[in-house]
Amino acid sequence: MSDVVQRGSFELTLRRVLSDRAGMLSLAFIVVLALFAIGADAIAYLVGHSPVEQFRDTGLTPQGLPVPPSPEFLMGTDQLGRDVLVRLAYGARVSLLIGVIASLLAACIGVTVGVLAGYFGGWVDVVLGRLMDFVMSIPVLLCMLSLVSVFGTSIPLSVSVIVFFSWTIMGRVIRGQVMSLREREFVMASRTLGAGHLSIMVIDILPNLSVPIIIYTTMMIPTSIIFESTLSFLGLGIVPPAPSWGGMLSEAANNSIYMFAWWLILFPSVILLLTTLSFNILGDTLRDALDPKANFRPVKMRWRIWPKRSRSKGDAK
Amino acid sequence: MKRNLLATTMLGALALQFALPASQAAADPETGGTLRILGTAEVDRFDTVPPATAVTGNFFRAVQRQLVSFKASDDPDEQIQPFGDLATDIPTPTDDGLTYTFTLRDGANWDAPDGARQITSADVARGFKRMCNPSLPSPSISFFDGLIEGVTEFCEGFADIEPTPEAMKEYIEGNDIAGIETPSDDTVIFRLTEAANDFIYLLTLVPASPAPIEVLDYQPDSPDYRENYIASGPYTVESYVPDSVVHLVRNPAWEAESDPLRNAYVDEIDVIAGVQADAAMQQLQSGDGDMLYDIPVPPVTVQMLNMQGDDKISAVAQGSSKMVWINTVSDNNDGALRNLKVREALAYAIDRAAVVQQFGGEEFASPLHGIMPAGVVGHHEFNLFPTPDDKGDPEKAKALLAEAGYPDGLTLKMPFRNLGSDPAVAQVIQAAFQEAGFTIELIPTPASDFYARLITNFENAQNGVWDLVPSGWSPDWPGGAARSIYTPQYTYDGTHGTFNFSDYNNPEATELAEQALVTTDLEESRELWEQVDEMVTADVPTIPLVSLQTVMYHGEDVENFLPYAAGGQGDWTNVWLDR
Repeated sequence: MSDVVQRGSFELTLRRVLSDRAGMLSLAFIVVLALFAIGADAIAYLVGHSPVEQFRDTGLTPQGLPVPPSPEFLMGTDQLGRDVLVRLAYGARVSLLIGVIASLLAACIGVTVGVLAGYFGGWVDVVLGRLMDFVMSIPVLLCMLSLVSVFGTSIPLSVSVIVFFSWTIMGRVIRGQVMSLREREFVMASRTLGAGHLSIMVIDILPNLSVPIIIYTTMMIPTSIIFESTLSFLGLGIVPPAPSWGGMLSEAANNSIYMFAWWLILFPSVILLLTTLSFNILGDTLRDALDPKANFRPVKMRWRIWPKRSRSKGDAK
Repeated sequence: MKRNLLATTMLGALALQFALPASQAAADPETGGTLRILGTAEVDRFDTVPPATAVTGNFFRAVQRQLVSFKASDDPDEQIQPFGDLATDIPTPTDDGLTYTFTLRDGANWDAPDGARQITSADVARGFKRMCNPSLPSPSISFFDGLIEGVTEFCEGFADIEPTPEAMKEYIEGNDIAGIETPSDDTVIFRLTEAANDFIYLLTLVPASPAPIEVLDYQPDSPDYRENYIASGPYTVESYVPDSVVHLVRNPAWEAESDPLRNAYVDEIDVIAGVQADAAMQQLQSGDGDMLYDIPVPPVTVQMLNMQGDDKISAVAQGSSKMVWINTVSDNNDGALRNLKVREALAYAIDRAAVVQQFGGEEFASPLHGIMPAGVVGHHEFNLFPTPDDKGDPEKAKALLAEAGYPDGLTLKMPFRNLGSDPAVAQVIQAAFQEAGFTIELIPTPASDFYARLITNFENAQNGVWDLVPSGWSPDWPGGAARSIYTPQYTYDGTHGTFNFSDYNNPEATELAEQALVTTDLEESRELWEQVDEMVTADVPTIPLVSLQTVMYHGEDVENFLPYAAGGQGDWTNVWLDR
């Protein structure tokens, strides 16, 4: 007969996370990817190729075609004779950096707006709710293209565009949660004890939102990465010759070069696929682990959808 | 097989006798079938008046005839040799090069609504009159304005006419251009204000086609015009579905004996729009398509097909070139680019070998060291800024830059068009300049904005929005086209030219160019253009990169694929199908 062990909430969560094989694999991949990105300089040093150096003699055939993977170029070269492996590593930096920063920023905005709308209700909710509707109804790609062609391409602009179009989903979820939380006894108790609005929002409500925040932020990362790749693919993201995954795919698609050089499509798209998949699975794992009895499924993270209006009765007042 | 006696003005006072060779004798010509031409955009113009791109020129080759045109040929010299199309031959100018008298071919007909009707000298004159109509003027009129007597006055009068078909018809039929005389139905005389030894080439332009009287009842290129299409070539438009397909069938009024340039082997031609480059190349390779319309063969495909030894790939020179424009009007870097030494440093830094590689290798692009590309009068081998193997000389460039007072290099902005191989070429240019101490900031620009909003807007040059810009140029006609390269790009008379991006002007060179155009001695003309080329190149307003060949590819079933130089494509009217 084994002893009954008392386990804390953290330990339980950790055990659930560790027991999810898919989640652990994803986490492992993300760690490897992060190391790949951090070690980009080391990789460039080891193979002796900078990400923008054009090896026209060794990296291109006499006809000017890229060379396939070989001991010198482990993942082959691109149409300018640059090392695909090194470019992938530097591209990982861009993708991860933009993915994580944009998601964190979007989460901050989403949480703030969601909490304010949910907590105060009334006209605040009406105004902020319509704002979210408004942002969600903008055709993302079109708006993005015009913004970028007016202001020119740059990383800060890419991040701002991604953030601007990403925070609404988080905002809606948080608003819904807060609307039910604010009716709960512990909030009433605080209020009775004379706590101010800010104090209730930050001290009482926010900690209860940690689960959706963690889950949604994790799941926003792959969307942001895809978003950045889309921008770069359309030539509106990272300015060449700096590498980014979307830009690499775009260059492969340009002039049908992929019909000859399969490695130009295969490596960037596989790494992009695995990255987004890993973050999504990790998000799922975290949700299962943090909130095993929850029956909510995250709103599907897709662009240009118009989620159903979820109006509760209290909302209509 | 025809023999055609030709006196050509373009190759000196020599009257050359040409025996038109029978189309490649490898296989017997086969008649019939439907030729399938694949394009991304549709045929944008049916009327001969509005601007015609080289691509549209292939369509007009099939449906309209001009006084003078080119023969479809594999021989690079013959390709750019003007031949009489509606004209029985190429006349030698009289009156010190001021008068050209053409005789029209008998049996060259309009497909008029009431049956075949002979094309007359009045139709030729009408074609010129329509060019400056106030409803849809032709940019080509600028070539004739001031050249043919009376065009300026005619166009000035026309500008005040209300742009309705009735008013325009009345003006056209009621007024004449003084310098275009029609003494009889089959004779037309052009009187010029100054000798121009490329006048014959100007007559090959599609807007110089004759026009039947019926077209005056419609607005130029209107749906009515298209509905009541009157062809003079071997084919006519049977049906047209916008953005989808133009279907050409045989023109019943066309007589083979009257047309020495077109054999019209196929029965029908479909010009299909909406096909992307990759799909088009695959359809050509599988035999589902025959030829390409406006789709350039992607350089990578060129390289691949070359590697596989595909003999269906070929090239034709149209005088296209690529260059980098230098902004000498902005105050960026305290006007550093106005310093000749800095521009020379750029000229030494450029790696042309790498640019050639990006365009598919030596067969399709050759290093260019002057402003006149291969295939154009005035092009000759010279190199004012030689570098080993054309790979650039960064050391020499650095030294010049230091001498100019910029030992730490310069930072330059270079927007590029985000389309096709342009991004790759821009990065190649960037790498070469960086090696010589320049820092190049690349600015990707959407293709639709690049020329229209960024480069042709002179304010952007003045405000220093760009310092360098990779650009390209194709003359309006092949062969004796030096004017079409020099005048729009390298002359400035006080009003900003659309394509002279930084108001470059060299009065001495312009004077030589004027002499080159006027002289009747074509050898002298060529030498003068060569001098112009060297003078302009020494000023480094642009850094010439490469002369481009237009790459052509066709399907397995297409036989007798001979390039029509003005269209940069195989001639639709001379191929036959072997299915």
